[in-house]
Amino acid sequence: MMVDLLAPLAADAILVIGALSLLLVDLILPPGEKRILGYGTIGVLLAALISTFALDLSGEAVGGAYEGDALALFFKRGFYVSAILASLASLDFGAKIWPRRQGEYFQLLLYSVLGMSLLAGVRDLLLLAVAFELMGVPLYAMAAFSRKDKLAVEGGLKLYLTGAVSSAVTLYGMSMLFGASGSTNLAEIASAPSSPMLAMGVALTLAGMGFKLGVAPFHMWVPDTYRGSPPPFVVLVAVAPKIAGIAALTRLLLAGDGALLDSVSELLLLLAWFTVIVGNVMALPQDSVRRLLGFSGVGHMGLLLLGLTTGTAEGIAAMLFYVAGYIFTTAGALLVLSAVADEDGNDGLARFAGLSQRSGFLAFAMLVFLLSLGGIPFVVGFWAKLYLFLAAWGAGYQLSVLFIALVGVIGLYYYLRVSRAMYMTEPTVEGPISVDLGTQLAIALCLVFVVGMGLVPQPFVAVAETAASVLR
Amino acid sequence: MQEQWVSALVFLGLAFSVPLSMLVGAALVRVRAKSNLEAKYDTYECGEEPDGPAWVRFHPRYYIVALVFVLFDVEAAFLFPWALTLRELGTLALVEMFVFVTVLLIGWAYALRKGALSWQ
Amino acid sequence: MTHMVLTVAAILFALGIYGVTTRKNAIGILVSVELMANAVNLNLVAFSQHWGATGQSFALFAIALTVAEVVVGLALVVLLYRTRKNVNIDLASDLRS
Repeated sequence: MMVDLLAPLAADAILVIGALSLLLVDLILPPGEKRILGYGTIGVLLAALISTFALDLSGEAVGGAYEGDALALFFKRGFYVSAILASLASLDFGAKIWPRRQGEYFQLLLYSVLGMSLLAGVRDLLLLAVAFELMGVPLYAMAAFSRKDKLAVEGGLKLYLTGAVSSAVTLYGMSMLFGASGSTNLAEIASAPSSPMLAMGVALTLAGMGFKLGVAPFHMWVPDTYRGSPPPFVVLVAVAPKIAGIAALTRLLLAGDGALLDSVSELLLLLAWFTVIVGNVMALPQDSVRRLLGFSGVGHMGLLLLGLTTGTAEGIAAMLFYVAGYIFTTAGALLVLSAVADEDGNDGLARFAGLSQRSGFLAFAMLVFLLSLGGIPFVVGFWAKLYLFLAAWGAGYQLSVLFIALVGVIGLYYYLRVSRAMYMTEPTVEGPISVDLGTQLAIALCLVFVVGMGLVPQPFVAVAETAASVLR
Repeated sequence: MQEQWVSALVFLGLAFSVPLSMLVGAALVRVRAKSNLEAKYDTYECGEEPDGPAWVRFHPRYYIVALVFVLFDVEAAFLFPWALTLRELGTLALVEMFVFVTVLLIGWAYALRKGALSWQ
Repeated sequence: MTHMVLTVAAILFALGIYGVTTRKNAIGILVSVELMANAVNLNLVAFSQHWGATGQSFALFAIALTVAEVVVGLALVVLLYRTRKNVNIDLASDLRS
């Protein structure tokens, strides 16, 4: 009975059991052998990823609070893949910087991924609140994991303060959603008669989630946390939680017949416009490449919001394809960055000067990722933008498409600035860069997917369309 | 009705007479301090002589214990509604609570092993 | 009755936001966040007068979530103190570019 009840949550169960057993192993492991825990974590994540393909995870679980459908599977795979990429980058870094505390780092990572994984198929306000918090709280601790590093602690505290305020706002919004509808079921909330309290609840919940997503005007933590935190953590925080925020928003706004989306679509569109402007304009003067990528990530969130605003099957499918592209592109760029940044985390443009002479592989990979971020043809970013714009155009958002595409052109400038530094200037730091095996593997994986999805996008688009078809 | 009030009255009388008799008994046998009034106004610390003022900063080492306490304290709050509704919910709820407590126990084992609870 | 409780909750929430935006002491900000969280709990319990016990159990979860969050926050504030010897967040601004 219990097993039946939880069958759709098999992947999440793997995460829970894996994380708890790794915790127990950590307790009896001598301090010198903590490295195994990183491999164990990647093993657990891989097992969860494989289970999404091998097992039947469809159906309702925990009394209808969770439903495993194609969309849930799509998001789950995204979370697991981005967590694997981040773990690969953390292996050597962790062993070097915090050798005795590797276990805790990977523990926190697994719990955070568990929260995201539950968000993927959430159907109930209560589970939404719990999963959202389960995703966020470990991230605060991970951001400040280098606890003697002033900058890391500051970045962590900024992430924490915005996160804590945003979750209080989200919970306040949720309490209003409950008050207006008398139910915690998302579909029932959507079908409740519209009232000022319901609208207020949706708006507050949206604002709270906007913090996590890094949507302007709630984006202030993004560049600071990116710059201050340990680079392998940035690979995680720049991708997985943002995708999870999109997943949660999709689940909340498109529950039932999507009445909640209709009530806030103007607001969402406004946020999308503002986010794209802030992301692209603020990226221009940045010297730290991490801050630059942070702002560029803010800009990409605006595009995802545009996809969500359409609410059509095509729009959501295009948004999902964009999400898939975003995972590999952003993770890839930040992985290269974690290899290039020096011991103190300095990652100014000067560190990238003449990168092609120091490491041809890194420079080439970064170039591909930057092209993809900028939306240049034949890498995934181009198709992602194209599909998104076509879908939004078709749904009647022509003005937004034109505007956002124009602002996106600004983005090309700062991507080209980094590329120019890598290929056309002399290196300021001499000597080849040594990259650890885990990071190399992760970069290669991202490269394969970014190029592969750029050359043959159709199968991935088909998957995204199947996933989007479960809504409405 | 009347009998209930009578028993309540008896109880009230007992409740007053026991501490009163104790106080009177103590007044009869205790040592009266005629000098050294300062010591009388000292903070009572189980017969020990107080050392320093009570208004001090706590050692920051204490904060981990405090954090762990707060966490477990709040998790225990889930036990109360569970205990109230256990009869209606049946075996499944019992199993679920055991799973919950097991997870908490693992957390406790972690705190213990990492020395978060030891004063050192 | 419910209206009055909701109003009190809204005032608490507003006070929390005011505290978060004006306080310079990190502990003060945490206290303000806690104020906001308690507004949520008050809201939920008030709504459960109308809608039954669901709101109360939601409040229980909300309390647990907030506590987990605040515990991490306090640990972070201790780290802030250790690295900078004060908890004034306006002074923790090395990351501004």
